[in-house]
Amino acid sequence: MDLFHDSPLLTGVRQMLGGFAQHQIRPIAIQHDQEESMPWELMRTAQKLGLSQTAVLDGRKKLTGVAEDPDPTKPKSQGRLAVIGSEELAFGCAGICLALGGSGLAASPVARMGTEEQKAEFKRLLAGDDEKGHIKVAAMALSEPATGSDISGLTTTATRDGEHWIIRGSKQWITNGQSAAVYVVWAQTEPAAGRAGVRGFLVARGTPGLVPGRKETKLGIRASETAQVHFEDVRVHKDMMLGSPAVPGEASGGLADTKKMLDSTRPVVAAQGVGIARAAYEFLLDRVRGGSLHGTPMASHQHIMFELADMQMEITAARLLTHRAAWLADHHQENVAEASMAKAYAAKVAQAVTTRAMVLLGEEALAPGHPVDKWYRDAKIYDIFEGTGQIQRRILSRQLTGMNPT
Amino acid sequence: MDFALDDDQQMIVDTIRRFADRDLRGWAADADRAGAPPDRLAHVAGELGFFTDAVPADAGGQLEAAYSHATRALRGFELGRGCPGLAALLETNVEPALAVGRWGSPAAKASLFASLTAGGLAALAHDSRGTLSVDADGAGGARLTGPLGPLPALAIASHVLLAKDGVLYLLDLAGVARIAVAPSSWRAARWATAELTAHAVAADHVVSRDPAAVAEVLAWARASLAARAAGVATAAMEHAERYAAERVQFGQPIGRFESLIRLRDDALTGAAAARLMALHAAWALDTHHPSAHDAASRARVLAGDVVTRATIDAVQIFGGYGFVNDYPVEKLMRDARPFEALHGDERLGRVLAQKAVI
Repeated sequence: MDLFHDSPLLTGVRQMLGGFAQHQIRPIAIQHDQEESMPWELMRTAQKLGLSQTAVLDGRKKLTGVAEDPDPTKPKSQGRLAVIGSEELAFGCAGICLALGGSGLAASPVARMGTEEQKAEFKRLLAGDDEKGHIKVAAMALSEPATGSDISGLTTTATRDGEHWIIRGSKQWITNGQSAAVYVVWAQTEPAAGRAGVRGFLVARGTPGLVPGRKETKLGIRASETAQVHFEDVRVHKDMMLGSPAVPGEASGGLADTKKMLDSTRPVVAAQGVGIARAAYEFLLDRVRGGSLHGTPMASHQHIMFELADMQMEITAARLLTHRAAWLADHHQENVAEASMAKAYAAKVAQAVTTRAMVLLGEEALAPGHPVDKWYRDAKIYDIFEGTGQIQRRILSRQLTGMNPT
Repeated sequence: MDFALDDDQQMIVDTIRRFADRDLRGWAADADRAGAPPDRLAHVAGELGFFTDAVPADAGGQLEAAYSHATRALRGFELGRGCPGLAALLETNVEPALAVGRWGSPAAKASLFASLTAGGLAALAHDSRGTLSVDADGAGGARLTGPLGPLPALAIASHVLLAKDGVLYLLDLAGVARIAVAPSSWRAARWATAELTAHAVAADHVVSRDPAAVAEVLAWARASLAARAAGVATAAMEHAERYAAERVQFGQPIGRFESLIRLRDDALTGAAAARLMALHAAWALDTHHPSAHDAASRARVLAGDVVTRATIDAVQIFGGYGFVNDYPVEKLMRDARPFEALHGDERLGRVLAQKAVI
């Protein structure tokens, strides 16, 4: 199993996005963290590299110039491209990485479950600039104030009214929640059906009753916007329900598909954790090379070098787990456990490496705007969003025995 | 061996706990956002005896007998439970006042105590990375050049007690430009940096040239930091426990999930151990026990680990709500950092010190 080198495409993407991260993202990362602002100009620049807000729908062609082999039995490279690219972008800044890719969270279910008409509508709604002159972004509205890890407990409802659905409820922790031009909102259509009744809907900005809420002040990933969104009797045409039953043979579009989609995004999120850890590790390594401590080379101290050696081991292990999960997906093999392992371990490594880097740097890292302080704050979310560390271990436990431990 | 508090200690703990629960916790979020303490802090805390408790009574302060580090550790734990950023301001005068009171010249005492008794603040700095350079002035004093900070209280301090290469200097900051900065930790603590350029320290402001005095001062600070860190860890889990009892996921309060019980229990075990080590170190300092400096250093190592782990895990228990500033644990995770970072990497210091004698 060659995880990394079976395609020069992967090396090329790593080099291209690595350079983008180093030269375009890093110089503005601290500013956007301190201002809690989206990097709108960079997002526009990134589109020229193929990092469009609809990249998930466009497939790999926009990024690489090469289309996937249409033969569904042949291995794909989408999964590995995504993890390689995400590590590089998060190495630059996790918040900016999420700003660049936040629309992908919404595009994923559209790509997976949407009809061709829905995909076209999604892309139409994201075309051009918004009223502030920014490129348009999309939001995936799944989590709710009372529903974080337990997504089966959604209370947002969609009630049929003739040719329309009426959506009512509030969403929490929504990436691009204030600025989105289109929302993919998840609501319960048949309470008696439980999870099977949860469906996704495309809702355009400006639809009466759609009220973007308060923007959150966060510990980290502050270049990515997070906000509440309220749906106050929002009327949506029935054709905007993802995976409409009117399309025979299409995916159901229900919560089960959403969970499969989360399985596919976990390696990508894990790769971002690897990118943060690598950023802190390389910062330290750079400091140690040529640095001195009370007149002796820093590199001569086991206290420092063994920490770096541990970091190198942990980052490498996290990256291998991440690439394995992506490789399995690219080769049409189930990767539920592998994706959870990668997500949980990469989150742990990101937190551990950034924490130890803070300690080794001492007072220096307390300075405002210090990158390691930022990476330390950014890392925490990787153990929380897209399924907490506890949820990943719950998935793994269920795989081991079939039971859900409590 | 008696672990019970005497009546005076219990009264202090009860009083400071009320102050921490009612005032410090009430002020913490706004002070964090504002990057400054509330105006009322000086008045309320002053009435409770902060700021001048280490200034001798004959100089206008409140210290009439030997200073009790044990009492300070007890109070520090409670302050940490309240707000670590505000606590840093409340504790900042202790090391400078005690050091100058014990080893300082009459001129140093006059300068520092006049300021502190008039409501001024002083800060402790430790040049652990050797970024400051010292030139002798030929008259027993020195000229200091290089960066100072970032340090809590430096933005408004009248003096800094600087520990450097076995010497304690009292810096009068009149005329020294400070750049106020807002780190992500202890944001209310009026941090600043300063660039010293041949800053003159007169001979009578060189507080001590005895490395043992420097070690003693840093041990006071370490014991105090350890006690406050234990308080922060405890507070984080107090918040998490309340939240976990109310938050329902998968049909039950998340506080019933065994993995979260373990996070909380391990953190509280660590916090209890860190508190005891801080109190032991303080007792050793009060009794001039030979192990005092080592005990304070070890207490800080443990407390630093504990407060980091506990605050990260408290955010984890809160989940998405922990990552936003609606609840206090987001701030506490940021506030955990200085406990390990201030005055340098404690573990590294221990390793180098032991390596030197082997």
